[in-house]
Amino acid sequence: MNNYILSKKLFRNELSTFYSFLIGFIVALFVGSLILLIQDKNPIDVFSLMLKLSVGSINSLSNSLNKAIPLILAGLGISIINSVRLWNIGAEGQIFMGALALNFFYINSSIQNSTLYIFLLLTASFIGGSICILIPALTKVLFGVNEIITTLLTNYIVFGLTIYLINGVWKDPASLNFPAAAYVNESVYLPIIVGKLSSGFLICIIFTLLAFYIKDKSVFGYEMRIAGGSELTAIYAGISAKQKAFLAMLIGGGFAGLAGGIELLSQTHRVSTGISQGFGYTAIIVAAITGMRPLGIFLVGCLFGALTIGGSVIQTIGVSSYIAEIIQATTLFGALVAQFFFSYEIKKKVENG
Amino acid sequence: MVDIQFIGLLNATLQAATLLFIAALGELITEKSGILNLGVEGMISIGAVSGFIAAINTGSLFFAIIIGVLSASVFASIHAFVTVVLKQDQTVSGLILTILGLSLSSLIGKKHVGKKLDVKLESVVNIAEPDSILDIFLSQNIIFYLGILLMVATAYVLKRTMFGRRLEAIGEDLKSSDSMGLKIAKTQFIATCVGGAFAGLSGVYLTLSYVPYWTDGMTAGRGWIALALVIFGGWKPYRTAFGALLFGFLEALGPRLQTYGFEMSPYIVKITPYIITILVLILLTIFKNGDTGAPRNIGIPFFRENR
Repeated sequence: MNNYILSKKLFRNELSTFYSFLIGFIVALFVGSLILLIQDKNPIDVFSLMLKLSVGSINSLSNSLNKAIPLILAGLGISIINSVRLWNIGAEGQIFMGALALNFFYINSSIQNSTLYIFLLLTASFIGGSICILIPALTKVLFGVNEIITTLLTNYIVFGLTIYLINGVWKDPASLNFPAAAYVNESVYLPIIVGKLSSGFLICIIFTLLAFYIKDKSVFGYEMRIAGGSELTAIYAGISAKQKAFLAMLIGGGFAGLAGGIELLSQTHRVSTGISQGFGYTAIIVAAITGMRPLGIFLVGCLFGALTIGGSVIQTIGVSSYIAEIIQATTLFGALVAQFFFSYEIKKKVENG
Repeated sequence: MVDIQFIGLLNATLQAATLLFIAALGELITEKSGILNLGVEGMISIGAVSGFIAAINTGSLFFAIIIGVLSASVFASIHAFVTVVLKQDQTVSGLILTILGLSLSSLIGKKHVGKKLDVKLESVVNIAEPDSILDIFLSQNIIFYLGILLMVATAYVLKRTMFGRRLEAIGEDLKSSDSMGLKIAKTQFIATCVGGAFAGLSGVYLTLSYVPYWTDGMTAGRGWIALALVIFGGWKPYRTAFGALLFGFLEALGPRLQTYGFEMSPYIVKITPYIITILVLILLTIFKNGDTGAPRNIGIPFFRENR
């Protein structure tokens, strides 16, 4: 039985991440079909309906892209933080914190020029996301506290804070039994480009290019990679690994915070628990599946946005919307399995001598 | 005669603590072997829904517990396969396990939302009106006692048996363990599945006793608290149990605060366990010079380079 050994491949196919994703997605569609068959539904009918209702018209396509915005922005933030080999599991909390910071700034200010106001509000949400990751970032670089756990725990703290605020000081009396803050004024809504597509999508494109530049083209990105790669190399190169890690975390948190700000100004128009429906967690799948590549995150984010919309519309024919989430999760599992075969090979053992 | 409010508080504390503790204990075993499994929330959910459906369909509580534990364990084996056999990233795999577990259990449980159970885990000793601390302990159900038993057993197995010593050795130092001829993959695989089984038991406790019905998202972040508990407890069973009692107390206290005349928001009380855990984690890291009690090899896949 021990005649075979596992060895790491010297060279990996350039496109292996892409192929892994494709394989994962096909596996996921297969698993999804099985689940549908068990429920006596025809998979082809369901999937073609999902396709039609998520990309079939301008309105449905723009719904899908709107859903993609938070996934992409939070995913980009996660990928920037991953440049220094750190994990951000706290995107969900940062999204909420972005919305909270935006609302806080909105309540305490009044600016006539709505373009300027929107710009400042979104800046506030970016800063909110950074503040949210501040304690995990500080404790990581100062004391080496595990950032996976601290970013994760901040999710629940911020969510608790949100519920506290919308049930207390921010509660809109008009919202009756559904706790939520008051609506923001229509003048600061993000304008619509076409159909239902929010201009947040343009911001999303700009930030994708920005993340691509930061990660792959800038000196800072190069330094981040060195800092994350090896502490010794970083010291030889005169790079402060801690400083890079700290900055990467603040920027990454800000990206997720911005996602919350855009969600508030374009979708919910007020702070409520509906600001994020697990976008921060799905964003981790999106980022991981693309091997943390910004352009990949953009494309997979759009696909997952469409899947989410497709999942929510098929409820009308009695199919559970969870099918979409299962497909998303299984895609990553399938991709991980495929990735194994791209990075390792099973060799026959050669006898010594 | 003890104050009736105190009785209620103590009872709720013990129940909340049992739920958190069993899942945390399972995660502790998994992490001791060097595998980090962030999928606790998903595994609890799978255990909860499958145990509930088994109870509805068979009416047998014993059978329901077995099904809940087994299915969560099989579900955890996905994580074991991806991280131990395929050596992929443990953070990513664990997270998808949570997402998959939550969505899968919602899908499976959809037809059973709002159904009432005919059977419910009864207390071991039937006491109509418990009015002393002893009565409270006696009126807990079988899983509470199982939890205590598992705590003692886990502490014993980890410290006093060959299997436990090997498990800890693997979590501390993969290379040395490998050169000593320990079966790393097998041990880690078993530890992950045992962790899943414990989470499943915790899930069964949730649907058969704690809130005896099934609804989407009813695990409500308890899996993440369980993960925090392992850190709080410094990867030690007894300290984790103490942490579970503390966290359980805070969960039980939240909705009762106003009856005690405090003007504190229950929402703020609800987030205190998370704040405490972060503080404990930071303090442990600072004062113990980075030695939080965490297994040194946690999260690192094992690969023996032999070309």
